[in-house]
Amino acid sequence: MHELVEFAVEKALELGASYAEARFEEKNGTSLAMKNGNPEGLEILADRGMGIRVLVDGGMGFASTNVLTKESVSEAVKKAVKLARAASKVRNEPIRFSDEDFHEVYYEVKMRKDFRDVSPEEKMELLRKVEEEVNATGVNVPMRYLGYSDQVWHKIISNSDGAFIESVIPRVSVMYNLVVFENGQMEQAPFVQRAFSGGLELIEKDEPWNWAVKDVQALKKLIYEGQKAPEGKVDLVISPEVAGIAVHESVGHPYESDRIFGREAAQAGESFVKPDMLGERIGSEAVTVIEDPTLPNSWGFYLYDDEGVKARPRYLIKDGIITEFLTNREYAYKLGQRSNAAARAINYNREPIVRMANTYLAPGDYSFEELIEDIKLGVYMVSFNEWNIDDRRYQQRYIGREAYLIENGEIKHPVKRPILEITTRALWSSVDAVGTDVEMFPGTCGKGEPGQGVPVWMGGAHARLRDIPLRRP
Amino acid sequence: MFDVNEFILKKAKELGFGDVVVLGYEMDRRQVRFANNEITVAKNWHERKVELFVELEKRVAGTSITELSEENIERTLKTLLSNMKGMAPKEDYYGIAEGPFQYRDIPETFDKAIVELDEPNEYVERAINAALEEGAKRVAGVLYTDHNRLYLTTSNGVEAFDEGSGIEISVRAFIGDLESGHGTNSVRVLKKFDPESAGRKAGEIAKMAQNPEQGPEGKFDVIFDPLAFANLLSYMSFMTSAYAAEAGFSFLVNKLGQKVANEIVTIKDVGNMPNGYGTRKFDDEGVPTRETTIIENGTFKTFLLNTSMAKKYGTETTANAGLIMPHAWNIVLEPGDYSREELFSEVKRGIYITNVWYTRFQNYVAGDFSTIPRDGIFLVENGELRQIRNIRVSDNFQRILEGIKALGKESYHIHWWEVSTPVSTPYVLVEDVGITRATK
Repeated sequence: MHELVEFAVEKALELGASYAEARFEEKNGTSLAMKNGNPEGLEILADRGMGIRVLVDGGMGFASTNVLTKESVSEAVKKAVKLARAASKVRNEPIRFSDEDFHEVYYEVKMRKDFRDVSPEEKMELLRKVEEEVNATGVNVPMRYLGYSDQVWHKIISNSDGAFIESVIPRVSVMYNLVVFENGQMEQAPFVQRAFSGGLELIEKDEPWNWAVKDVQALKKLIYEGQKAPEGKVDLVISPEVAGIAVHESVGHPYESDRIFGREAAQAGESFVKPDMLGERIGSEAVTVIEDPTLPNSWGFYLYDDEGVKARPRYLIKDGIITEFLTNREYAYKLGQRSNAAARAINYNREPIVRMANTYLAPGDYSFEELIEDIKLGVYMVSFNEWNIDDRRYQQRYIGREAYLIENGEIKHPVKRPILEITTRALWSSVDAVGTDVEMFPGTCGKGEPGQGVPVWMGGAHARLRDIPLRRP
Repeated sequence: MFDVNEFILKKAKELGFGDVVVLGYEMDRRQVRFANNEITVAKNWHERKVELFVELEKRVAGTSITELSEENIERTLKTLLSNMKGMAPKEDYYGIAEGPFQYRDIPETFDKAIVELDEPNEYVERAINAALEEGAKRVAGVLYTDHNRLYLTTSNGVEAFDEGSGIEISVRAFIGDLESGHGTNSVRVLKKFDPESAGRKAGEIAKMAQNPEQGPEGKFDVIFDPLAFANLLSYMSFMTSAYAAEAGFSFLVNKLGQKVANEIVTIKDVGNMPNGYGTRKFDDEGVPTRETTIIENGTFKTFLLNTSMAKKYGTETTANAGLIMPHAWNIVLEPGDYSREELFSEVKRGIYITNVWYTRFQNYVAGDFSTIPRDGIFLVENGELRQIRNIRVSDNFQRILEGIKALGKESYHIHWWEVSTPVSTPYVLVEDVGITRATK
């Protein structure tokens, strides 16, 4: 395969490309589902192919093929070059890429328990365990949808600037949707996922059944003991899970440079952040947000991005100040910078675009007790369901799933559906203290057309927000 | 590709599989993405693959085969077999449709002119120029051309072929940071393609939306533009699948035969709609696609079903397989009898929403959700429009359907990034829609 990847790059240069990149990707894996105790279909994934991206006369072209012969790859290269040349005629200025240091590298994530050696029935046992543990709680959970998935991603990336990166990354996950029906009322924990890069041992150690049990018990308690959430200005403590979705939506996304420059305008939108906002204050001094693809065993893990650039932690906000955008080579060039390796593609048939990996609110120095001890009236939001944000990433909303009243420094009864609807600047300016312990939660980040759902982690430490206008349904 | 299908079927039967479905695809898809009035990237995909579904004593499995050599096919089938042998059966599996079936050609689903189109960039330029002529400063969007061939062979006597084409464009026009509009056009035959109309609509709305003020909150009568209501109906289409209901992702759970919408509301799935972007001759089991009434005059009539789920519930398939998960082809909200002007004159004080995105649910089974208007939003007062911004629709799906009080008489076929299942809908007036906004 190495030769075919190199052949594609050489062929593109021969045909007049000023830049060429070929990416072979192979994904192998299994997925299983269980619905209300019934095993659903087994799905075997075996997919491979090559994508070729080129620049010709400043236009960009992309073509892919899943027929891995010299003839077929050659045909795809010709198409990419032809498309790029035609596209260059409908451009105001040519596309250029930043200069980078490139390497020849092989890396892989080792599995202690290799899921390729485990039978589907044994994997199904993981779901059965979730099913059994949830049923054993005695909580009435009439709808239970459980999913297991594992995949090994093998990639070979080569470009005409000297990158040659080969990687093997296994990914494994369990998800659930649980509907609790008690006392004539219904609450739901949908699309909850536990996910890692690595072997089956990571899922076994994480024990997703415990997360599911905790969820259904919290929902039952919410139904029987939940009261109305306070309205008006209160203090709010958000958990690492809620902090995670908030940094993902209102820090990670608006700092994507392709969005800042309008390339995503018709789909995922633009950004309230402008290039001249680097160095501007966006939050309190307590707020530092880090984006780091290199976290071991993380769901968003990689060491080199899909343009062959070496990954590193990126400080999007440091002590409340905007310090860095997420860039690929095209937008790093526009910003007069080096790329910080945020180019990702979900498969061989997709172009690399600017994406997050693992985004988190960096820890502070408050224990959880210290965060709540001086709160007279507040809410602790542990998990969320409904959330969304406008396409400039400024007006957002998160509704608590599991949440509790805080009164005179103590956690009291559950509260139903506290709604945080707030602007990005107000959200991050309201944080006056951050906890010490970081936790991460997996998600699938959607962007691009056609869609590219990429695995990411989101998380951070607990955070305390002062004087927040909470609302209720 | 039928020779490949037959080889797979023969080998699968030799290995002892029961039900077997082999769905071969040959796809040619082109994309031109544009932003800031220029092309950002142009792409081409050629793909040839087989989707395979097999059953072994009530155990079911599926995979895609992209490397179609005989060796790889045999290897894949043997892998499936060995993986399935130890598995527990799916007790609620009841088989696939009995063929063969007769198929009719569906008008306006294939056009050689789209296949032979050398270079679609001129359509992009026409859309951009139309938006700029209306006053836009920045124009972004995407154009696709599609050419698909489907080859279906099943162990129950089906051998079916379908060939389809399509061309579509989605255009978003901007004047400043806060002023934008959106238009789309999705058709199956080239002579019906109108990229200018998409560009013009995007430009017109952006121009109308200039200098918006912060919008209000409370309960308002809302006129949803077809682009906006299509988003909600596209989400609803997933919830009409019996699979979604069983898995706890539908507000229609336990509501068969009940009133779930105003009586002026009739919603169908039309798999055989001429010029529909989701139209196909047959579903994944080979059953000829057809029209299925999901909600009739406000009453919920049926979930969308495949053969196995239909047998489980003692009824007939609606030709919406998905072998594991039934799904809609083209959702249609039947139009009413209001002209656009009459609809707006119905509203003394309300809101006109031209587009929404990011629809998310607090509770799927209850149907509680919110979604965010984007592009032009307007306060409607006695026939006058005043541009506003930064509001959110926060309501309940069934209540929205029950609150529909008037429907436009013209229908629009919508398909884009936020509307993945194509939807035909008119302008829709809904009373007392919950509107919220951030107050800090």
